[in-house]
Amino acid sequence: MKIDIHTHTRKCKSGDAPSRDISAVDFCETILSTEVRIIAITNHNVFDLDQFEEIETRMGEDTQVWPGIELDVLDGGSRGHLLVIVSPMLAKEFSEAVQEITKNSSPDSFTVTIDEVLATFDAFNPLYVAHYKQKKPNISNELLEMLESKTNNPGCVVKEVTNSISAGIYISHGHSSIYGSDIHDWLKYEEFSHDLPDLRLPVDSFEHFCLLLKKDPTTINTVLDRKTSEDLVLLPFDDSSILEIKAFNDINVVFGPKGTGKTCILKAIAKHYLESGIDARVYESASDRLDEIFDIKGRDLTINLDTHSINYCSDEIEALRDAGEIAVTGLSKYVVYFAAKSTNRNAKRIMLKDIEPEEESSAKREFSESNEAAKTTAKFLEFLNKNPSMKKELDTKELTEVVRILSELLKRLLKREWNSFSGWKEICLLNSAIRAFRNEVERKTGMPAKPTTTGFRDYAMNRIKIEINAAKIVNSVDTKTAIQTELVGSLGSNKGDLQFRTEFKFQSGAITDGALSSLTGVKKGTQKKFVNCVRNILKHTYADDLFQHISELNEIDDVEDIKTVYELLLFKRYFAIDGQPYSPSSGESSMVMLQKELGTDKEVYILDEPERSLGNEYISDVIVPLIKERARAGKKVFISTHDANIAVRTLPYSSVYRYHGQEGYSTYIGNPFTNNLVNPDDEGDQLDWKKISMRTLEGGEKAFGERGKIYGNN
Amino acid sequence: MEREGKSMEIIKATVESLDDKHFIKIETGIEEINIPMSEDNPNEVKSAFNKIINRIKGGEFQIKLEEIKEDLFSQVANEYIIQLNREIQEVHGEMKEFGL
Repeated sequence: MKIDIHTHTRKCKSGDAPSRDISAVDFCETILSTEVRIIAITNHNVFDLDQFEEIETRMGEDTQVWPGIELDVLDGGSRGHLLVIVSPMLAKEFSEAVQEITKNSSPDSFTVTIDEVLATFDAFNPLYVAHYKQKKPNISNELLEMLESKTNNPGCVVKEVTNSISAGIYISHGHSSIYGSDIHDWLKYEEFSHDLPDLRLPVDSFEHFCLLLKKDPTTINTVLDRKTSEDLVLLPFDDSSILEIKAFNDINVVFGPKGTGKTCILKAIAKHYLESGIDARVYESASDRLDEIFDIKGRDLTINLDTHSINYCSDEIEALRDAGEIAVTGLSKYVVYFAAKSTNRNAKRIMLKDIEPEEESSAKREFSESNEAAKTTAKFLEFLNKNPSMKKELDTKELTEVVRILSELLKRLLKREWNSFSGWKEICLLNSAIRAFRNEVERKTGMPAKPTTTGFRDYAMNRIKIEINAAKIVNSVDTKTAIQTELVGSLGSNKGDLQFRTEFKFQSGAITDGALSSLTGVKKGTQKKFVNCVRNILKHTYADDLFQHISELNEIDDVEDIKTVYELLLFKRYFAIDGQPYSPSSGESSMVMLQKELGTDKEVYILDEPERSLGNEYISDVIVPLIKERARAGKKVFISTHDANIAVRTLPYSSVYRYHGQEGYSTYIGNPFTNNLVNPDDEGDQLDWKKISMRTLEGGEKAFGERGKIYGNN
Repeated sequence: MEREGKSMEIIKATVESLDDKHFIKIETGIEEINIPMSEDNPNEVKSAFNKIINRIKGGEFQIKLEEIKEDLFSQVANEYIIQLNREIQEVHGEMKEFGL
């Protein structure tokens, strides 16, 4: 949720850009396309009530719109701009006041003194936002002091600066500062809105905002109480002292000097959640374990070839290795038969022996086809009768008709199946009888029978099967699998995303890449020889030397290790940027491991000094947004840190400060909103959250500077 | 059926003899296939079968003996080719089934 306390909807002064003009409709559309949910309209010396009301009506509950004005203050020779923003409930009265004070001047000529401002607007309990320092034309320090001293609401005087960094710096020096868009061109608003301040605490209304601004403890505690939290009772230390903390479903920070027991607190938190059955462990940076975590050596790496539509070819490999030659009928049998024509009278009478055998395979195929069709139809009929979706889609009449047609079809198919079966078996019987009679005549007469087959069919079928098996294996090993890419994390805007890539390749017979390892441990040489042999078998399936190649296959060392094509797989795993292999440094390893931890969906994140080995820029640009995103999703994030970028920029809902002084260890609990850290053993012992964090944390002052982006008035 | 779509290709075969050795010579148009009849030579028969299989891959065909004489080897060749044609037809059907 973002806030913009300074916008223009109309070109009021002659120097205003025309692109400041925007209709109520366009204004609402533009704002709703951004994350801005609180916006103040502050035109130069003008308040347009009609437009305000139209915008307010259109926005409804989606966005709070606050009425305001940007006044030209001219006082004691000093000139500057002052925003006066009031409650939307007072818009009409505010409009009348503006009309009254500006009635004798144009927006260009109108000026006002601080006293006049106070006289006209202070009764509205407004928020005063004064252009400050680099924000020109700025209100002088003298006029600002006058405003602060004379107003009834000094806590509602805020300095407007030019950007988030300035705001943060002024906040760190005790100045309430904020910045708004001061938009000149609405076409650029959406882009500009990304840099507007975030609201860390929910703001219900203008009045609520003013109370939070004044650090009203009741208001802050009410807001904090609205947030889901739980009280943790921990025993983190050896002395059995109890630590009670309120853990928010948000960011909770433990900070303090080294050696003050922060890690013990985190471990106690992890133990607490683990005992409740919640996945919680303390994340510690260990950059040297990146390869191990990602299993770069592929110890547990597997791949399911079925999901890649790759046949494992288990039967095919077995059949190929067991393949043998089929004998053919010697032609001498024919010669002998014709040379010794039988003279036996009885033999001559047995005509059956002279009938030519019939071809069986087409009759068998016909039976198989009708058998398959009948089975599938019967199965579908059963499915149709049982499946509730079918019954929902078809009414009774339709269902009956479909069942009738399919039943008729099944009947015919069964008839065809039977006919083809009997036809096939008829041929089998005939051929069997011919063979039997020929053998019998041969046996009884001593004369050779006419051979029933040249042996060509069986010979050819054997080779065809070898071709099919070899082709299936080659087809499998020639299938490419896509590189599996896993996002490891971002290495920042310069380098981009670090990926972890896993490449699977089948040994093609020509692969020599040393970076590829055997997935199953089968020797790479064995794999290579195997694939080359199978390719040769396929190439020579119908050549005279086929069985030499099959013998070569069986003679490969350790060939028995290859039972499926899975054993022919090679792989390599590596980190990469833009597809190119990349070795992340230890700092980069820390970066991506932390991202991985935060990218895992959990209820509780416990991070022990996540900043270790990481640069400030990376913490600010990547880690802090990730932590905040987890918090926004309602997760509990516990962080022990020395880094101000994390402790300050995340504005934790709960802060535990550990300190070791002359009297031993002390613990303080608080938050940045009340700006207090309270010793639970002595409520009078309080510390200033901002001062302690600036003093204790590395980069404290700078972090406060950066933190202006998140609006909090410390 | 293929046979209904186009006429079956016919390949000629003859009975040849050379140095008292008789063999069936099949002219495929691409290469010559010889099947020895006067001696059992399984390797030569297999070699001939390999060529026939390769020829089937180019399309179904039947072998026709040019001249059927009354001598022994013509009778053997005739019977052998009758059986071979039947088996060629079967193998072609199986090949089609397997999509080869």
